[in-house]
Amino acid sequence: MLDNLYQFKKELNQRGIFFCFSGPLSQELLVEIGDTLRNQMKQEEASSSTILKVFSVFVEQAQNVIHYSAEKILLDSPDKATLSSGIIVVGYEGQHYYVLCGNLIDNEVVDTLREQLTKLQQMNKEELKRYYKEQRKKEAPESSKGAGLGFIELARHSITPIEFEFQQVDNNFSFFSLKTAI
Amino acid sequence: MDTWKIEATKYTPAIYFDAANNVLSIKGESYPENVDQISKPLFTGITSYFAQATPDQHLTVNIELTYFNSSSSKMLLDLFDRLEEAAAQGEKITVNWIYEADNDTAEEFGVEFKEDLEALTFNLVKN
Repeated sequence: MLDNLYQFKKELNQRGIFFCFSGPLSQELLVEIGDTLRNQMKQEEASSSTILKVFSVFVEQAQNVIHYSAEKILLDSPDKATLSSGIIVVGYEGQHYYVLCGNLIDNEVVDTLREQLTKLQQMNKEELKRYYKEQRKKEAPESSKGAGLGFIELARHSITPIEFEFQQVDNNFSFFSLKTAI
Repeated sequence: MDTWKIEATKYTPAIYFDAANNVLSIKGESYPENVDQISKPLFTGITSYFAQATPDQHLTVNIELTYFNSSSSKMLLDLFDRLEEAAAQGEKITVNWIYEADNDTAEEFGVEFKEDLEALTFNLVKN
């Protein structure tokens, strides 16, 4: 592993990846990572509008991992907090920043998610705006831990249709990855 | 009516109600994991304001959020729905949506909120 680590770093650099995290994620950690990313992009002289959009996409995707990752540990704390595991990657390619996140999900939600994301992929900006406003007026779906708007918001920020993939891990779980380019 | 305040954290805005001037301000960034931690005290404060407001009172709501996540966006819509309803019933309310000139996302959100409001005075204020 020691000698492979440098190889791994070189690979990340080649792919334009300047931030990479894998492991248990919490809201506190998300805040610190978000601040670091904003500082880094400021150094790279990204416009404040771009920095805000990348930050916003990062927050939505990271909070998706926190809320929906099937790889969760219940902490032995009075507030029954959980730690959810996932992967977060932020990079720069072809003149654009991108955020790529992945986490385990239950096999049984794959079809619904695929359907939902495919629908968003096919909408243009105007349709996405209308759909966002329509969904915002509704009560959040029961399965949602936020407002059920996260994916639509990502699709609205994305300069290309959002990309996603599901890879079956075993009889119970699949790995879900989602990429947004800004 | 009492003045009250919720201090800002790294990911929740400062919320301040100035009872002497009837000004409610919400300022900062909003991306908590669970939006209830700010929406509950905010809506309780608003309900108690309308319960005690006299007919000549005019409420000003200044919102200056540089960034908010999607569940906070839902909370803002609920807030504007509540204020729209009160305005339709004759309450005097002005909302100022304040954003920095280079924050096109905040501007766009303001425009989209404004589109669906009728009774409520909603001003887009560029800083």
